[in-house]
Amino acid sequence: MIIQLNGIKETVPDSLTISGLIEWAKEGDPDLMVEKNRQYIYPAEYDTCPVNENDVIEFINPNLGG
Amino acid sequence: MMDQPDAGDDRYLRQTLLPGIGPDGQARLAKSCVLIAGAGGLGSASAFYLAGAGIGHIKIADHDTVEISNLNRQILHADTALGQPKGVSAAARLTAFNTGIQVTGLCERITHDTITAMLEGVDIIVDGCDSYETRQVLNRASLALRLPYVYAGVNGFDAMVSCFVPGQTPCFECLFSGNAPPSDQPVGVIGAAPGLAGSLQAMETVKLLLDIGRPLKNRLLRISGLDMRCHCMDLTPNPACPACARA
Ligand SMILES: [Zn+2]
Repeated sequence: MIIQLNGIKETVPDSLTISGLIEWAKEGDPDLMVEKNRQYIYPAEYDTCPVNENDVIEFINPNLGG
Repeated sequence: MMDQPDAGDDRYLRQTLLPGIGPDGQARLAKSCVLIAGAGGLGSASAFYLAGAGIGHIKIADHDTVEISNLNRQILHADTALGQPKGVSAAARLTAFNTGIQVTGLCERITHDTITAMLEGVDIIVDGCDSYETRQVLNRASLALRLPYVYAGVNGFDAMVSCFVPGQTPCFECLFSGNAPPSDQPVGVIGAAPGLAGSLQAMETVKLLLDIGRPLKNRLLRISGLDMRCHCMDLTPNPACPACARA
């Protein structure tokens, strides 16, 4: 299926959860934040939150500098 | 407090013209007290605009001293302040900028032990920190004392801003996990990134103090400076938050 990941159209495997997508994208930041369709997704939801066709997903590295 | 000009003073004319501020709003700003936690890049920008807006009492806290590598972004401090405590340098600069407000420079480290005294009389906490740990201190104090906490953070060309208001929004720790080990490596940042974020914090602080407009509650504003994308993501409370889930 096709989704938009970090502003770029990507073809990803079907039937992914957010956890699966993080693994597929090889994201390693332990502080990673995830936005799906403009909604913040909490880590506790990663294993159950599905990724669907045309979803707009952003992987966000937190900004903690000042 | 030092002699505060009348709310109708020309100094504030251009903002008292605004619906939602006016002389009454200006008088409320003059009676307000804000803690700016950190006199770095974020704190420099927010402090200037909050001082310019006529916040009656600004406390600005930072335990560091001014270093040459600060000066690409920390516009509160001049070359002549190198080696000075940032709390002292910031207070002197802000007092010179607006003699009609009270400015208190605090040079202690912000910890769970020091924050309560720093927040005495304070209406809003403005984040000028550069670490997860200090933000956690601010967040816990915000929740305990029911004070709004105007968060911002920067990295490179990017910035994030949100208003965490106890009882109305998620808190800082709902969103940010702090799982990554602290690093002592400096983070690259273009000065305009904290300048932008700090300016937005000043605007949000004025809105919260006056209860006007639609502050960044339950939203996180993200600015990607390199490709100049700005957007807000919607936030909901985190049922697993270690800080506020039972608050
Ligand atoms: Zn929370």
